Amino acid sequence: MSMILSSLIIVPLVGAIIALLMGGTREKLSKYVAIAFSAATLVIAVLLLLGIFGDFEDLGESFEWIHNSSFIMNYALEVDGLSILMVFLTALLVLLVNVFSLDEHRENNNYFYALIMAMEVGLMGVYLAADYFLFYIMWEVTLIPMYFMISWYGGPRRHYSAIKFFIYTHVASLVMLIGIFVMGYESVAPGDPVNFLFSAVKAGIGIAPIEIQALVFALLFFGFMVKMPSVPFHTWLPDAHTEAPTEGSVLLAGVMLKMGSYGIIRICIEAMPDAAFHWQWVIIAIALVSIIYGAYGCIAQTDLKKMVAFSSISHMGMVMLGIGCLSDAGITFAVFQMFAHGLITAMLFMVCGMTGHKVGTREIPLLGGLAGRMPIYATFMMIAFMASLGLPGLVGFWGEFPVIMAFYEFILENDVVWMLLFCMLSLMLTAGYYLWAMQRTLFGPETKKIDLSKAHDVGHYEFAVLLVLSILVAFFGVWPDGALQFLEPYVDNLIAGMVI
Amino acid sequence: MISDIVVNIFDDLTPLATMIILAIGALSFPAVQMFIKKHTVTWAYALILVVLAFATNLVLLMDEVECEYLGVYLSPYSTFMALLFLTVLFLVVLVSNSSTETTKNHSGAYYSLLFGATIGMVFVTTSIDLLTIFVGVELTSISSYALVALKRKDGRASEAAVKYAIIGGMSTALTLYGISMVYGVAGSTELTEIAQYVATMTDTPWILAIGVICMLAGYGFKIAAVPFHMWAPDVYEGAATPVSIFLATASKKMGLGVFIQVFLVMFIGTTVTGTIFGETFQYIFAIIAAITMTVGNVVAIAQTNIKRMLAYSSIAQAGYILIMMAVMTPNAEAAGLFHMFTHVFMKGGAFLIVGALICAGVGEKISDYKGLAKRAPVLAFAMMLFLFSLAGIPPLAGFTSKFFLFASAVGVPGEASGAWVWLAFVAILNSAISLYYYARVVKAMYIEKGECTEKIKIPVPFMVAIAICVVFVIVLGVYPDLVYGFAETAVGII
Repeated sequence: MSMILSSLIIVPLVGAIIALLMGGTREKLSKYVAIAFSAATLVIAVLLLLGIFGDFEDLGESFEWIHNSSFIMNYALEVDGLSILMVFLTALLVLLVNVFSLDEHRENNNYFYALIMAMEVGLMGVYLAADYFLFYIMWEVTLIPMYFMISWYGGPRRHYSAIKFFIYTHVASLVMLIGIFVMGYESVAPGDPVNFLFSAVKAGIGIAPIEIQALVFALLFFGFMVKMPSVPFHTWLPDAHTEAPTEGSVLLAGVMLKMGSYGIIRICIEAMPDAAFHWQWVIIAIALVSIIYGAYGCIAQTDLKKMVAFSSISHMGMVMLGIGCLSDAGITFAVFQMFAHGLITAMLFMVCGMTGHKVGTREIPLLGGLAGRMPIYATFMMIAFMASLGLPGLVGFWGEFPVIMAFYEFILENDVVWMLLFCMLSLMLTAGYYLWAMQRTLFGPETKKIDLSKAHDVGHYEFAVLLVLSILVAFFGVWPDGALQFLEPYVDNLIAGMVI
Repeated sequence: MISDIVVNIFDDLTPLATMIILAIGALSFPAVQMFIKKHTVTWAYALILVVLAFATNLVLLMDEVECEYLGVYLSPYSTFMALLFLTVLFLVVLVSNSSTETTKNHSGAYYSLLFGATIGMVFVTTSIDLLTIFVGVELTSISSYALVALKRKDGRASEAAVKYAIIGGMSTALTLYGISMVYGVAGSTELTEIAQYVATMTDTPWILAIGVICMLAGYGFKIAAVPFHMWAPDVYEGAATPVSIFLATASKKMGLGVFIQVFLVMFIGTTVTGTIFGETFQYIFAIIAAITMTVGNVVAIAQTNIKRMLAYSSIAQAGYILIMMAVMTPNAEAAGLFHMFTHVFMKGGAFLIVGALICAGVGEKISDYKGLAKRAPVLAFAMMLFLFSLAGIPPLAGFTSKFFLFASAVGVPGEASGAWVWLAFVAILNSAISLYYYARVVKAMYIEKGECTEKIKIPVPFMVAIAICVVFVIVLGVYPDLVYGFAETAVGII
């Protein structure tokens, strides 16, 4: 049995342990350990993506882990078109974050890098797991490093934000756990041991009564929705982002939020398509509210990072909207939007986080005319903002525009064309808050409210990281097929499995 | 089979084997202490006997020996429970000599009482008669009162002991009263006969109901189920920490064991025939479980003393375990037994750390734990593992056992399917609440800065005991089948 997929979990795990043990005098070296191990993980992920290791179907791993008269739980990993993109994104962002942090020095470096690597372990586990028990464990594993990341290295209100993040998402995952229980038991005959393998549960739950499916769908959906997050369960996100260190924010927004939407597609839609149609309108409504509310929230923010956090809510709403269409195009581009948002939001948080370090504040009203003093920084900020508002030619366009197309198709079918107004509103608002924020921070006369004499432009490592991200943003902007080719077979399969 | 050795040595007395070894200790410690006068010798002697008893019991458990002698009934269930008690006894004895809290002047009596209490517990699990169960419980209880009082110079301990004894006495009276009523109706104190009576009766005599409720209340005191929980925090706080460990992990499990033996056996017949009587009690158990876990968790949030906090968390954990009494399926029982087992290591481990830190001069307040991660990194990490395990964070033991337990409440086969989903919901909400106060301790240790920064050294036995707990908290988390298999066999017997 090949161990390629396990290596994606084991390599960062080893990295985390080594980094953790490098206390004292070797503390300074821990960052290189983290970089080396995350680079190795990225190499494996890229080789996997390019198909060097063979077809995805042949790479699955599975062995029985816990087996007694009530449960069968497996250590099962699988990869397909959906997870490979997320795996690649995770490996990429973790490496970039590690490199990005080189320009900054902090106390207890070794813990910091151990936390980042531990998070990678959990994330990889979530995206590769093919067993509900493993999936849930990995889901929770991502939580603890992030809690410590915020509460050790965060801003002034870090304690409050960290505990809020922890409890909010933990409650959500517990609700999800109940969903998993019900799903597991409904998938087998009474008295038989529950097999938590994805494929086993899927086969069983698919034939359960629709009421049960709808209930399970709702429980799981709630868990995922809080993670995404969707209005009205989004309030942990702005706090967590504002207080988290830049590296934490990048991983949180870049890949951890995607766990939510990944779960919806992988578990809710894949296993219970009938229930998905049952809840379709609810999903659409939540998505639209998130999009609009997130965008309105952005306009009101004065903190750059908080603004980006609210924009994440809006953009993840777009993902949800794509999923809610339950059509080929909708789901394909929803996943693409996840990928695109991962790249863009990483850039956004890096630039906004830098503002705090370089200038001393992230408050938009205090800033102004930074472009003159920090031209490179300003350029990257513009690229990120433009990509995020969906400028054609950059990756964000392919995430947003086709989703709206798919939604248009959906509303035509259902004869509710007026709902297109929401999309227009969201596009206008998005363009509005980004351009306005940009105009207030970068252009105009240089601000007199704060001392800019110490402000300096981006560091070498930061420059390299942002450059890589910009290139990727442009690359997938002109050649979205690079990512879409993986998705098509997966989504075709998924749609074929939905009996309408 | 290895168990043949045991059987050859003890012959007819095999069911009593573990108890005999323990009794040898209990009877000889005062003499040993009197003549040798070295605490370490008594301690080593006690340790050897525990290991011996443990090994004997393990052998009997592994081979699933079943035998009976004069009404003492040895089964995989009793050996499973005995394994749990002996594990606790081992951990407690291991640290007793190095703890500064336990008395040095009376170490002979101290070990005698510990062993005596354990004999009572083991005896309870081998009983199939209400009266022998009662005797076992009393043996344990009376020893426990004295154990609490042994920390003589501390006013809190005396107060706790008095409170414990009075409330314990009251619960004893209630239990006995209940037993007499049940006997009056069913005409026997033997559990199987009572069960038969309950299963075949045509209508429910109200006196039987009152009797059962009296017993429920009496034994409810033992497991500190709400509303019979008032004594627990005071006693755990007042007693020496090793004794608190013993009470919180072993003594409480005995109470839960009694619940399984008495009530499960009594009502299991009715779940088959579907009499309203059994079902009513299932609901009563469910309500007690829900209230117990909620009160335990909510009150724990307000605690500033870590021992009190752990005590309330123990109450909450008892609430989780009581789910098995409400659900009453084999899965639920096995999961409940398994959770009892993991609870030993996580709660025992947490208390051990508290005890070790008291020896090192750290206070009992949560605020005293500030900056602990700097002062004792290994200890703080172990404490974090235990607390996260108690909160049910994967991949630790507490998560796996809670997973099994809550899953069993959701997955009830047959007619009652879905009847206990609400209970699982309450339990899961409680888990979320509990995370708050556990995380608060973690926060104090890791995030807040303490005034004192000198390193902490703790005695080696404590280190060993904590290491054992850490290993099991992790191992049982990733490989629960190690113990879960035994739990399933044990349930098969009942």
